[in-house]
Amino acid sequence: MSKKLFVMLSMMAILMLATPVFAQGEPAAAAAAGVNWVAITSGFAMAIAAGLAALGQGKIAAAACEGLARNPAARAGIQLAMILGLAFVESLVLFTLVVVFAKVVK
Amino acid sequence: MHQLPFTELLNHLFAGPVTALLTALGLHPTHPTAPIPDHVAMQVLVFGLLIVFFVAVRASLSVENPGALQHIMEGVYNMMDAQSEEIIGHDNKRYLSYLITLGLFILSCNLLGLVPFFETPTGVPVVPLGCAVVTWFFYQFHGLRANGFGYIKHFIGPVWWLAPLMFVIEVCSHLARMMSLTIRLFANMFAGDMVTLVFFSLVPIGLPVIFLGLHFGVSLIQTYIFVLLTMVYLGEATAHEH
Repeated sequence: MSKKLFVMLSMMAILMLATPVFAQGEPAAAAAAGVNWVAITSGFAMAIAAGLAALGQGKIAAAACEGLARNPAARAGIQLAMILGLAFVESLVLFTLVVVFAKVVK
Repeated sequence: MHQLPFTELLNHLFAGPVTALLTALGLHPTHPTAPIPDHVAMQVLVFGLLIVFFVAVRASLSVENPGALQHIMEGVYNMMDAQSEEIIGHDNKRYLSYLITLGLFILSCNLLGLVPFFETPTGVPVVPLGCAVVTWFFYQFHGLRANGFGYIKHFIGPVWWLAPLMFVIEVCSHLARMMSLTIRLFANMFAGDMVTLVFFSLVPIGLPVIFLGLHFGVSLIQTYIFVLLTMVYLGEATAHEH
């Protein structure tokens, strides 16, 4: 088909893909008076923060082990860098904990 | 109102003068008979113990026959000297007194929580905030002293046409250092207490000892991290562009 027709049909197809936008108009169902969103959210927040931090710290420790295995004479510097790195990642998790406490105590 | 025994002692002795001083400054304590809170009393105790320790070391100094206290203090001094020489460079001796005092103070505060009938002053947000604010002003002062007006070059960044953006980013980053030092120390100490309490409520005998051991280890590491970061900031601030 000609190029103009192709462009017009593609635009119509894209416009039809936008129809889900019209579906979100209905109001959210009224939550029961006792749903404690703060508790649920803070649980998930701490879990996600701790999990991702564990992954990061695992990478740090693995790199430190490998560096130490390759060059045991550099132990002081490698150990210093590892401890510093672990403390930085841990402090991010603790920031999350502080936010959780701030929201829980309000 | 629940107070520790040492706080009760201090309040019993000094409640009158302290309340008078506070009202003279325009502050009104909630309990005029007990104006000194627990964490201030604990800090006073740490201050007293450190002064006694330093005086004892000074009094027992001897070249031919060094005692145990002298060995301890020499060990602390040598460790800080070696670490700060590595990080800051050749000019580290002028910062050593502050770094050693800060390290010993934070270590004593952290470890005081392990003793029964005492609490950790660094487990209250204001105490690590005080340490962090003093440290921040300390390294900014030394940065200005070492570089003069050229200290502003640390905030500019590598190229002149990024300077406005880099200045804002660097200022925010420096201010965030105060916050991160505070929250790192406070949250580690507070979380140690929380976790011990949680496991104490689950298994009252035996198991919480493991978490007291964790608190002990975390106290040492967090003190080391605080002092290490102070050295890193000092080294960065006083770096001369050769």
